[in-house]
Amino acid sequence: MKHRAAITVALFSIFAGTCAVETAASAVRTKVLRFGVIAFHANEPDRVLRVYADLLTEMARRLKPQGFEVAPLVIARDLPELSRLLGRGEVDMVAETVFVTLDLQQEPLVSLTPRLAIVRREEREYHTVFFTRKDGAIRSLEQLRGRTLVLQAERSTSAFAVPRAELAGHGIPMFPAGQPRAPRDAASFVFAGAELNQAVWVLYGRGDAGAFNEGDWDRLPRKIRDSLTIFHETRPLLRGLVSFRTGLDGSLRQAAEAALLDVHKEEAGREALRKADGVTRFDRLTDTDRASLSGWKRALSGVTGTFK
Amino acid sequence: MKIGLGRRYAVYLSAFTLVSITMALVAAGFVSFRQASILQTQIRNAISTVQSANEEERLRGTAQYLAGRLFNALFGLDVERIDEEIQQVRRWLPVRDFLVTDASHRVITDGTEAKLSFGDTLSGVWPTIDSGALLMTDATGRRHVRFAIQSGGTLAGFAAVTFAEDPAQSSLRRIDEQTSNLWAGHRSSLLILLVMAFVFSAALGAITSARLSRSLSRPLADMSRAAKAFAQGNLDHPLPTDSKDEIGELARALRTMSQDVRTHEVALKEETARLRRAEAERSELLADLARKNAELERFTYTVSHDLKSPLVTIQGFVGMIGAELGPSTPEQIRRDLGRISGAADKMQRLLADLLELSRVGRIVNPEELAPFADLIRDAVELVQGHLTARSVEVVVQDGLPEVKVDRRRLVEVLQNLLENASKFVVADRAPRIEIGFRAEDRAFYVRDNGQGMDPAYLDRIFNIFEKLDPRAEGSGVGLSLVRRIVEAHGGRIWAESVGPGEGTTFWLTLGPECFDVPGPQISSSSSPPKDVDPSALTRGDS
Repeated sequence: MKHRAAITVALFSIFAGTCAVETAASAVRTKVLRFGVIAFHANEPDRVLRVYADLLTEMARRLKPQGFEVAPLVIARDLPELSRLLGRGEVDMVAETVFVTLDLQQEPLVSLTPRLAIVRREEREYHTVFFTRKDGAIRSLEQLRGRTLVLQAERSTSAFAVPRAELAGHGIPMFPAGQPRAPRDAASFVFAGAELNQAVWVLYGRGDAGAFNEGDWDRLPRKIRDSLTIFHETRPLLRGLVSFRTGLDGSLRQAAEAALLDVHKEEAGREALRKADGVTRFDRLTDTDRASLSGWKRALSGVTGTFK
Repeated sequence: MKIGLGRRYAVYLSAFTLVSITMALVAAGFVSFRQASILQTQIRNAISTVQSANEEERLRGTAQYLAGRLFNALFGLDVERIDEEIQQVRRWLPVRDFLVTDASHRVITDGTEAKLSFGDTLSGVWPTIDSGALLMTDATGRRHVRFAIQSGGTLAGFAAVTFAEDPAQSSLRRIDEQTSNLWAGHRSSLLILLVMAFVFSAALGAITSARLSRSLSRPLADMSRAAKAFAQGNLDHPLPTDSKDEIGELARALRTMSQDVRTHEVALKEETARLRRAEAERSELLADLARKNAELERFTYTVSHDLKSPLVTIQGFVGMIGAELGPSTPEQIRRDLGRISGAADKMQRLLADLLELSRVGRIVNPEELAPFADLIRDAVELVQGHLTARSVEVVVQDGLPEVKVDRRRLVEVLQNLLENASKFVVADRAPRIEIGFRAEDRAFYVRDNGQGMDPAYLDRIFNIFEKLDPRAEGSGVGLSLVRRIVEAHGGRIWAESVGPGEGTTFWLTLGPECFDVPGPQISSSSSPPKDVDPSALTRGDS
C-alpha cells in the first residue's frame, strides 16, 4: 500500500514538473515588443495612444505569424522616465527625434541603437534657419554673442536642440536669458512657445533673432516673413529615428524592422502611418545618415544637459 | 389583366388607409407647422424686445470678458493663443473682424493664418484704459466695439471688433435657423411616416388580399365553377355551403336551386316519356282511325255501288208497273207509284253523291297547271243555267294566280260554291257573286250577297247531310265534298257571315305545293274587290 502511494506521488511529481517546464518554454517562446514614446504634456496620453494605435495593430498583425507579440504602448512623461524604462528593459523600441535619441544615448543606463530613419510628410531631412528683423543688424551667428535668441521650447529639436548644437559648434555658449552667471560673450535665449510667437517676438524686440526649421519659415504669414530675414542655415538633420534597445532579442528586432519597413506597402499600413503624426515610411539608415548623426553627436557633446 | 375581387377590395382598402393616414399626417404637419410658426414669432418678438433693451449692456459685458481672456496672451505676446481666443469668439458671436493691437494700435493679429492686417495702425477713436468699451455703429448699421485689454491698470493693447450683423438679429437668425432645422426634421419625420404608412398600407393590402382571396374570392370562384358545372348538367358539383356568411347563403340557395332543377328535370323526363307514350298512342289511334276511315270509305263505296243495282231494278219495275196498269188505274195508285219512283230517284242521287264523296282522295286525277280564272270559267259554264235563271252577276278579280291542282275536282268545288251562292238569293236585291284572292294568306274567296246565316251554324254546314234549310235543294253532301277536295289539296275552307241577310263568304286555301309554279308570282298588291274599282272585275259569264 505504501509503495502504491509512493508511486502515485512520484508520477504526479513527474507530471507536474513536465507541465511547469512546458509553461516556461511557452513563455520563453512568446517574445513581446514594447514600444515607448514621450508625452510631453499631461493631457497628451490619449492623443498619443490614438496616434500610434493603428501602427501598433499593423505591427502586431505582421509579427504574430513569427510568434511575436506587441505590448500596449508605453507612455513616458519625459525623457528621464523613458531613459529609466529603457534601462530596466521595459521599453524595447522608441521612435523619436534625432536629439531626443542622442540625449537618450548619453544616459548611462541606456544602450540604444538607431536603426531606421523616419520619413515624415515626404521629408526625410530638414534643417534649421536663423532669422532676424530685416532692418536689424545681425547677419551671422557670431553676432549673437551678448544677444537674445527667441526659441520655441526645450523639447523642440529644430527650434532649440539644433540651434543650441549649432551655436555650440561655433563655440558660442547659450544660456537662458537673465542667467546671472552667463558669460558676457554667450548668447541668451527665451522660449516663445510657438513658431509664430518666435517671429512676432523678434519683430517686437523681445529677442534679437529666432531659429526654427525651414518648414515653419515657409508657413509664416507673408507680411511677417517679409519683415524678417534669414542669416544662417544649419546642415540637414534627419526628421526622426527608430531605435532599439541593444539587449533586445535579435530575431525580434529584425522582425520589427522588417515590419516597419513594409508597413507603407499596404493601404491599411499607409493609413496607420499617416495617423502616426504624418509618417510616410521608414528607411534603413545609410552610412551617410550615420555620419551625419555622428557629427551632430559630436556637436551635442559640447552642450551640457537640459536647462530646467 | 383580370383582377380578382379580393385583390380589388384590398387595393381599395390600402388606398383608403393610405389616404387616411396621409391626410392625418398632413393635418398633423399643418398644425405643427402653424404652432411652430406662432411659437417662432412669439420667441422672435420676445427676444427682439429683450435683446434690444440689453444689447449695449451685453456688449460691454462681452468686451470686459474678452479683455480678461486676452490679457495674459497679449501681455505674453502669445499670438497663437490670441488666435485661439479669437477663433473661440467667432464660434459664438457673429464677428466680422477681430483685430488685436498693441498699445500703439498696431495690429498684432486678426486671428487669420494670413494675418494680412499685421503691423497696420488703426485710426479712429479709442477708449482709454479706464473708460470701458466704446460702442459705435457705422453707416451700414454694423456694430463696432473697441476696448482696452488691461489688467490692474497695466495696458497690454486694444481690441477692435466689428460684428457682421446686429447680435440680436444674429440670435434671431439662429432661432430661425434652428426653427427651420426643426421644421426640416419634422418634414423628414413626416416623410418617413408617410413611407411607413405606404409600406403599412401595402402590407395591409397584401394581407387583406390574401384574406379576402381566401374568404371571398375563393368561395366565389368555387361558386363560379359550380355554376358552370351546373350549366353543363353536373348538378352534383360541390358548393361551399359551410360558410356562415352571404356566400354561404348563396351557395345554399344554389344548392336548393340545383335540387329543384333536378326535381324538375326528373319530372320533365317523366312528362316527356308520358307525352311520347301519348303520341305513340295517338299515332296508333290515328292509324287505326285511318284504317277505319278507309274501311268506311270502302264500305260506303260498296254500299253505294251495290245499292244502285237493286235501286235500278226497283225503278225499272216501277216503270213497268206504271205502263201495265193502263189508263183505268186509280189515281191513288199512280200517285203512289210516282212517290216510289221519286224516292228511288232521290235515293239514287244520294247514292251517287255518296259514291262521289268516297271517290275523293281515293281516286286522284293528275294535277294540272291552270290559271284559277280558267277554273272559275269552267265552273260558271257548268252552273250557267242556275245563274241565268236567278240573274246572278258573277264578278271575278283580275290577276288571279295560276295553280297546280286536280282541275276537275277544283272546278267541282267552285261549281258547288257557285250553286250554293245562287240558291240562297234575297228577293229584294240583285244577286251578285264575287270571286277573288287575298295575297297575305293566299286565300281565295267566293262571296255572295244572299241570305247569309247565323254565325253559330257556320261550322255545321260542312258536315255531311247537314242542311240548315230542310226545304233547300240537294242532298246535303255538297259542302262535305267541297271540304274533302280542298283538304285533299292540303288546304282549308271556312265560311264567314255576319248574320242572316248579310251574305256569306267562303274562304279556301290550297297547299303550298299548289302555288309552286314556274313563271311570275302573285303580287302581294292584289287586293279584295272592296278596295278596287268594280270596273276591274270581269263578268263571269263573258
